[in-house]
Amino acid sequence: MSKSFFARNPSILIFIALLALITIAATIFSEAYGTALLPTNYVKVLGKTMSFCMIAIAMDLVWGYCGILSLGHFAFFGLGGYMIGMWLMYARTEDIVVASLANSALPATAQEIRDGIGTQIFGVVGGSEIPTVWMFADSLTIQLALVVLVPGLLALVFGWLAFRSRVTGVYLSILTQAMTLALSLYLFQNDSGLRGNNGLSGLQNLPRLTEMPQSVVSIWFLWLSALALGLAYLFAAWVVSGKFGNIIKAIRDDEARIRFLGYSVEGYKLFIFTVTAIMAAIAGAIYYPQAGIVNPAEIAPIASIYLAVWVAIGGRGRLYGAVIGATLVSFLSSWFTGGQAPDVPLGFYTIQWVDWWQVLLGLGFVLVTLFAPSGIGGIFDRFVRKDAA
Amino acid sequence: MSALLEVEGVSVTFDGFRAINDLSFSIGEAELRAIIGPNGAGKTTFMDIVTGKTRPDTGRVVFGRPEIDLLRMRESDIARAGIGRKFQRPTVFEAQTVSDNLMMALKKDRSPFAVLGHKATGDDSDRIVEIAREIGLGDQLPRLSGELSHGQKQWLEIGMLLAQDPRLLLVDEPAAGMTLGEREHTTDLLVRTAKSRAVIVVEHDMEFVRRLACPVTVLHEGSVLAEGSLDHVTADQRVIEVYLGR
Repeated sequence: MSKSFFARNPSILIFIALLALITIAATIFSEAYGTALLPTNYVKVLGKTMSFCMIAIAMDLVWGYCGILSLGHFAFFGLGGYMIGMWLMYARTEDIVVASLANSALPATAQEIRDGIGTQIFGVVGGSEIPTVWMFADSLTIQLALVVLVPGLLALVFGWLAFRSRVTGVYLSILTQAMTLALSLYLFQNDSGLRGNNGLSGLQNLPRLTEMPQSVVSIWFLWLSALALGLAYLFAAWVVSGKFGNIIKAIRDDEARIRFLGYSVEGYKLFIFTVTAIMAAIAGAIYYPQAGIVNPAEIAPIASIYLAVWVAIGGRGRLYGAVIGATLVSFLSSWFTGGQAPDVPLGFYTIQWVDWWQVLLGLGFVLVTLFAPSGIGGIFDRFVRKDAA
Repeated sequence: MSALLEVEGVSVTFDGFRAINDLSFSIGEAELRAIIGPNGAGKTTFMDIVTGKTRPDTGRVVFGRPEIDLLRMRESDIARAGIGRKFQRPTVFEAQTVSDNLMMALKKDRSPFAVLGHKATGDDSDRIVEIAREIGLGDQLPRLSGELSHGQKQWLEIGMLLAQDPRLLLVDEPAAGMTLGEREHTTDLLVRTAKSRAVIVVEHDMEFVRRLACPVTVLHEGSVLAEGSLDHVTADQRVIEVYLGR
């Protein structure tokens, strides 16, 4: 009991060391700062994968540890992307508009600049007015705060309503999925003020840093992703390793019993749901500038279901399991759907992995559920348990 | 003697079935009471009402002094107010150690933020070791509670009750599945506990109730049929009819 936090959680140090190693190695081999062996595209894949790992950790906290199968966490991820995307797009468009107006005879007025930005961003949905939701888009500080506040508040209100009514199990999953679908459908509308199905694009270009090549930007975001992932892992490990972790596991295993011990189950669920929604949102705010585009399709319920599949394959209820699942599945996914996997000609039919990858993933999920319910991470547990015994 | 728990004129109906019918019951500050009765007499429903799991249609349930109205409280608030419950089927958290189970039950601030910053003090650990010894699990603290025997799980659950430091304990069939030696130990523990708090034991086993040597309340069809010493109630003609069949 008196052992230090790290001694009780050896996986943390291993994880942080691996994360640092990968990040440093990628930098050494990068086009921007090293030997140029690793194309910028791959650096971005690495950075994006780290963001996926971060949301997978959030999902593991809420589902693996607390037993809430949320099908809404990718919506929070997407919202985080939208919030940071608004600033990126606004400020970048402002740069362009100011530059183009600089050639005119008279100095551009603030109104002219605003009109220019409006036409540039919203012309695609047939408008030129800047909608009210963009009122803070010129402030990086406020949009960064909104990355946390908007998904956080949504989770808080939704969670309060759902948990207070004691909606549990599959009904709660359906409810979270409905929330996700509603949000996605809303964003698909052109008059939602967020460019409908076009979403926000060009997010990889950082405003005011137009001179900076993508090879450099990608490395900076890689480090940011690694830092955020490392902190998220530490935070999650801290949350689950103590008494709080025992309580949420107890809620997962027997909610009624822990209630009779005097714990307000609703309060704990709301706390975990909201905190993990914020984690997901931060991960999304780091992911989308690397992906370059965020649109309502990203928020569709299927994304949140994938998230659950990652965590299930990696192993629920162990943080490294979530990381393994997210990494493995997203790497395989980009390999199979990126055209690198060779097609398999069968004479009468050619297996094209772009189409068949989904089938493979589904099959993998079924196999893991049937034969390795504790996922890939469960394999590690066997070794650890032996050491401890 | 002032009552700790007072139940007055409580009725509850499930789908037309009257599980509790105008039931009145009370127990004092430091008292041991056994509740017996045939299956379906409403013993478990009675506990569900007191602990907030079931809301009665009519009646009054108050606790402590100054009185608090249990019918307006949630399960977790009732537990925090000082009512602990042991279930019929032992329900401990099997994936967690004996020590973790006791630590969760230990009387402490239960809000999420307080728990998040929780650090076990030396006193906490001492208390847990003390409870573990009392329930005969002194050397089992680091074990997963799922690995314990049935009787040991029953004790762990009683230990969790003690750790909560409640003023009223509701104990549902504590001796079920226990060996003779274990039963004796359980009786001692309950009798000792009832010296400082109120304990209500629901039990089928007459031998066990006899050993508790305490007043008995007989429930039948949702209301009190007889009350008094075990010898007194077992001599009651109506009780005999209920138990030996019509």
